[in-house]
Amino acid sequence: MNDIVFLLINGITVACIYGLVAVAVSITWSALGLLNLSYGFIFSFAGYGAWLAERHLWGEPIFVLFMGIAAGVVGGVLVCLLVFIPVHDKPNFTIRGMIGTLAVSLIGGQILLQSFGPKAKLLPEFFGYSKIKILDVTLTADKIGVIISSIIMLTLVVKWMKSSRRGLEIRAMMMNPHAASIVGIGVRKTGIYVMAVTGAMTGLSAALLSQTYYLSPFSGLTPMIKGVSIALLGGLGSVRGAVIAAIILGFNEALTTKFIGGRYVLITQFTLIIIVLIFRPRGIAGILDKAREA
Amino acid sequence: MSKILEIKGLSAGYGSLRVIHDLDLIIETGERVGIVGLNGHGKTTLFYAIAGLTHWQRGSIIIDGKQIGRTRSQGPGRYTHLVVKEGLAIMPQGDEIFHGLTVEEHLDSGAFTPESWKNRKQKREEILEIFEPLKKLIHTPVGRLSGGERRMVSIGRGMMSEAKVYMADEPTLGLAPKIGKGLLEALLKIDLKNSAMIIAEQNVALLEGKVDRIIGMHAGKLKGEASSSLSMGLKN
Repeated sequence: MNDIVFLLINGITVACIYGLVAVAVSITWSALGLLNLSYGFIFSFAGYGAWLAERHLWGEPIFVLFMGIAAGVVGGVLVCLLVFIPVHDKPNFTIRGMIGTLAVSLIGGQILLQSFGPKAKLLPEFFGYSKIKILDVTLTADKIGVIISSIIMLTLVVKWMKSSRRGLEIRAMMMNPHAASIVGIGVRKTGIYVMAVTGAMTGLSAALLSQTYYLSPFSGLTPMIKGVSIALLGGLGSVRGAVIAAIILGFNEALTTKFIGGRYVLITQFTLIIIVLIFRPRGIAGILDKAREA
Repeated sequence: MSKILEIKGLSAGYGSLRVIHDLDLIIETGERVGIVGLNGHGKTTLFYAIAGLTHWQRGSIIIDGKQIGRTRSQGPGRYTHLVVKEGLAIMPQGDEIFHGLTVEEHLDSGAFTPESWKNRKQKREEILEIFEPLKKLIHTPVGRLSGGERRMVSIGRGMMSEAKVYMADEPTLGLAPKIGKGLLEALLKIDLKNSAMIIAEQNVALLEGKVDRIIGMHAGKLKGEASSSLSMGLKN
């Protein structure tokens, strides 16, 4: 019993961290048509932003966490200015966008390596070291903190998308970019909003992961690969699909680590994704969708 | 009366294809103008050129004294939102809708000026008075509506803002005649105090007697003009 609850908590923690990146990938893809491969860079960028803030500004953990999110926003807007705005209306935008964001990711990673060196950095524990015991299961503060802060972030983003004017514009652009420009929605301006919000999500995820693992110039690559694969499983473009996919893959990761071994996580993960995509080519979102297309 | 829309020497097209040829058009405030022409003669492209949605264009387009035309060679839609903000309400042909938004949100998305966004509730009520069938469907995703209802939503979206020029592109296309007529009636109910309206149609009979002028369009040029009662002799 203990073991199972422990596994569940682990699965959910992992799902929260990667789910944030996955939702970011998903929103960017459907709103801007950009498969943003630079989330790895934004991830490390945000991590180093938080680390610098801790060293030079103020060591208070919650402040550091918020600085991580802020650095994520800066990173997102930077990628938007460097890649999305110059190429979004050129022919073959999808491929160019992919190459451009990949280039930003690689060059950016090298710049981080140059500036901070290869030595891994560690962020402070944001949520303290206290432990709670519920039904014989010990929950550490950091796991609870990860779960709660990710849920708050996701709720805020979804609420904002549902109720604000900008959110309406973004959703409109996700559904029909051509009609969106007809009703006066500017692609470039919306692009900056989208990248800022998804950057914030990536920043949170970076801060949360770097406190338990470590931070290095390329530590964002694995979360990005996981994020993209979760987004694929969820059906690119669907926030709900991405959340469900994150939970499924989070459990998969926890279960695989427990019963088969940590080395096999990617194998089981991609097998799962392939199986789902064979039967549901549009991912989990294909099951959820209620409205017919176009 | 003042000119609300003045187009001079407009050419536009897609790639190497030139669809609009040196077109001139002047529309006065308060006018309702019908543009008729067969498929593929450039009615939609004319609207898209005004909105900056063609691949390239040149020539002058002045809305209410403000130049919105520019010589461009790439990036369709790059400036469209700016043009729309100058007071252009486009009711596009076919299914240019956001299938996942509810009817309510969809109407809101048409309120592109800050004032109309503030007054969006009241505007919505006005539009629902015109399109009664939408009242029951206000929280339904647009993707689940029928063709006629979708067109109502798409036209309603164009009516949400205080535009200077309304452009309705074949509002009746593909609809049952009765529904099409109803939609046209709704369009004619829009109050044109400081604005004007252009309706593109293939069916001359539908517009007859209802608009102030009918202009024929043929091979990318405007050909002939008539007050709407004389329009029957106007094919070509």
